[in-house]
Amino acid sequence: MYGNAYIETDGSKVHSIIADEDPIKLALFEARIAAGDKIEPKDWMPKEYRKQLIRMIEQHGHSEIIGSLPEGTWITRAPGFRRKLALMAKVQDEVGHAQLLYSAAETLGKSREDMTNDLINGKSKYSNVFNYPAPTWADSAIIAWLIDAGAIVNQLANSKGSYGPYCRALERICAEESFHLKYGHDNVVFLATGTPIQRQMVQNALHRWWEPIMHFFGPPDKSSQHSEILMRWKLKMGSNDSMRQTFLAMYVPKIWDLGLTLPDPNLRKNEESGFWEYTEPNWEVFKQVINGNGPCNKERLAVRRMAEEKGRWVRKALMNQGAMYVSPLS
Amino acid sequence: MEFTQKHVLGLKELLYKMADDQLILGHRNSEWTGLGPMLEEDISFSSMAQDKIGQSLALFELLQELGESDPDTVAFTRNDNQFHCSQFVELPIGGYDFSLVRHFFFDHAEAIRFEMLADTVFEPLAMVAKKFKGEIKYHTMHADIFMKKLAEGGPESYGLIQQAINDNFGLALGIFEPGEYESELIEAGIFGGENALQSRWLAKVVPLLESFGYTVPKVENTAPALGGRKGIHTHHLQPLLDEMTEVFSIDPGADW
Amino acid sequence: MIIQSLDPRISRARLDDQSCDGQLSEHEHFETFEVFQQVKRGTHHQHVGSLHAPNPEMAILFAKEQYCRRGKSVNLWVVKTSDVFVTDYEDADIFETTEDKKYRDPEAYKVMDRINAYKARLNP
Ligand SMILES: [Fe+2]
Ligand SMILES: [Fe+2]
Ligand SMILES: [Fe+2]
Repeated sequence: MYGNAYIETDGSKVHSIIADEDPIKLALFEARIAAGDKIEPKDWMPKEYRKQLIRMIEQHGHSEIIGSLPEGTWITRAPGFRRKLALMAKVQDEVGHAQLLYSAAETLGKSREDMTNDLINGKSKYSNVFNYPAPTWADSAIIAWLIDAGAIVNQLANSKGSYGPYCRALERICAEESFHLKYGHDNVVFLATGTPIQRQMVQNALHRWWEPIMHFFGPPDKSSQHSEILMRWKLKMGSNDSMRQTFLAMYVPKIWDLGLTLPDPNLRKNEESGFWEYTEPNWEVFKQVINGNGPCNKERLAVRRMAEEKGRWVRKALMNQGAMYVSPLS
Repeated sequence: MEFTQKHVLGLKELLYKMADDQLILGHRNSEWTGLGPMLEEDISFSSMAQDKIGQSLALFELLQELGESDPDTVAFTRNDNQFHCSQFVELPIGGYDFSLVRHFFFDHAEAIRFEMLADTVFEPLAMVAKKFKGEIKYHTMHADIFMKKLAEGGPESYGLIQQAINDNFGLALGIFEPGEYESELIEAGIFGGENALQSRWLAKVVPLLESFGYTVPKVENTAPALGGRKGIHTHHLQPLLDEMTEVFSIDPGADW
Repeated sequence: MIIQSLDPRISRARLDDQSCDGQLSEHEHFETFEVFQQVKRGTHHQHVGSLHAPNPEMAILFAKEQYCRRGKSVNLWVVKTSDVFVTDYEDADIFETTEDKKYRDPEAYKVMDRINAYKARLNP
């Protein structure tokens, strides 16, 4: 979703994935990636590489634009100048991220219009977490801190991937995300160290968000030859579980440090293995949410449809008949 | 020249109405964030809304130096009848036609107001006016280009914008509702006054709109929407204020 | 059905979840421009990315906020992507400089050996 959490590794055999690719071109392509070189838009690439990249970057773009909605819930209600300005700037950044990512995906040959249509028709997927409501101000704080933290774990890994335009977009995105993370943390700290009402509010929000956050990184991947190839092509930069581990290791201590609790009695670090142990979240719920049946999926897509619809007359008026569309350079 | 009490009152009145205009319009325009007509414009419009709120903060800080409460208290605890914004800025965002026309009318007024204030005798305000010159220049540049391109964009967009101009000209004139201390402000060299501002604004926006192909209603035939500066507002303001203060009021003593 | 949202902006829009399809037609989001930013006088403009815009004037408006809303900038260029002529990565070998092109590099000129040898010959 955010990068590689939802690449579909369907267990196809290596053979069927690359069967009809030119072996010489494929070897060159793989050698380039193995050498740490980047692939650029007009380069030859295996069909599967293009397909998975488009899917991955597009879903990431959708997650950014849909991701602006739950926090947008609080834009008109952010308490005070400081929070108001920061929240606006943060949500604005997320819209900017969608812009950057859609452009990166476009270099692979899918237009922004097609991507948007696939989103609003429910054909494309996006991150599960944005299908949950943000009923209190503290929810927006938890989103800004922990969802963005999760996103950063994914995005940092993916910025070392093999496709040039995606890496470049992620570089800019990661720089902005560090502001989001700081803003979110600051916001949570104010609530957690504030009055009893504030503390209760942030504690409740944290409990609400914990399962979606655990879901965020995707289900444990089954190892398959397909996923091995995607790793070799530097499309998938780590397993879902390893990303989840990175996140837990970095943020659970910070959460506990604030005296906040998490709704998983089994959550602990295994000092021997160094790994975090936890109760496996309900993956059936995840599947439901990803496939359109989360608490807010319908609203999110309806809002996107409305936004496109409301802007249509503006775009129609501005359209330049002589325009020549080519995909962005890089 | 020494400021008399009337000068200070006039200055505060001026700062309050400016700050309230920016605060309320900034809040309104922020509603487009994430919902704009295209991603790129969404980002631009959001930046301008942020600028407005930032500018209102700077003005509330000046008020604080003049003895008023801190900006958060002043901005987020008053009721509608204590607000001095014009009625124009408090209306809901409507469609992009209304939002753009309001942006065009208001930001040109604001640009000229700040231009006039760049040499006010009240130094701190002059500094604020200079500080935001670049921001506001971008705003009017943005507004002008949109108004022009939408005039050229065919009958639908031309018609919508022309209609919005017609419908909102009186509301825009409400921006220039004179305050109680106009003559004191002028005499002290604090501000050239709302009448002067309105004339300069008309001299700017009317030819500009006409050059794009729009027609502009006559001032003589248009009733300005007055009252906002005196705390008389439409029914749209109080719900917005309730929204802005919703979180604060959960726990008024808390630090957010 | 009108959507009742937690987001007051959405509730205010009285959004009917059936009323609009929002489908985009081809090129409804315009063509693309490439953006070049100059951060400081005296430096080169650098390519920073691309964006969609209906015309160059708006491309500048959008580029200013999408690519320059943080940090410093003094100048911007936007160019229609379709107007940029580019080389092929397949032709990257045209940039290869062979060993025999050393004569273009300052390191190829090492006169001190010769001068020292000359001096040694003069004063044995
Ligand atoms: Fe983001
Ligand atoms: Fe973010
Ligand atoms: Fe402005």
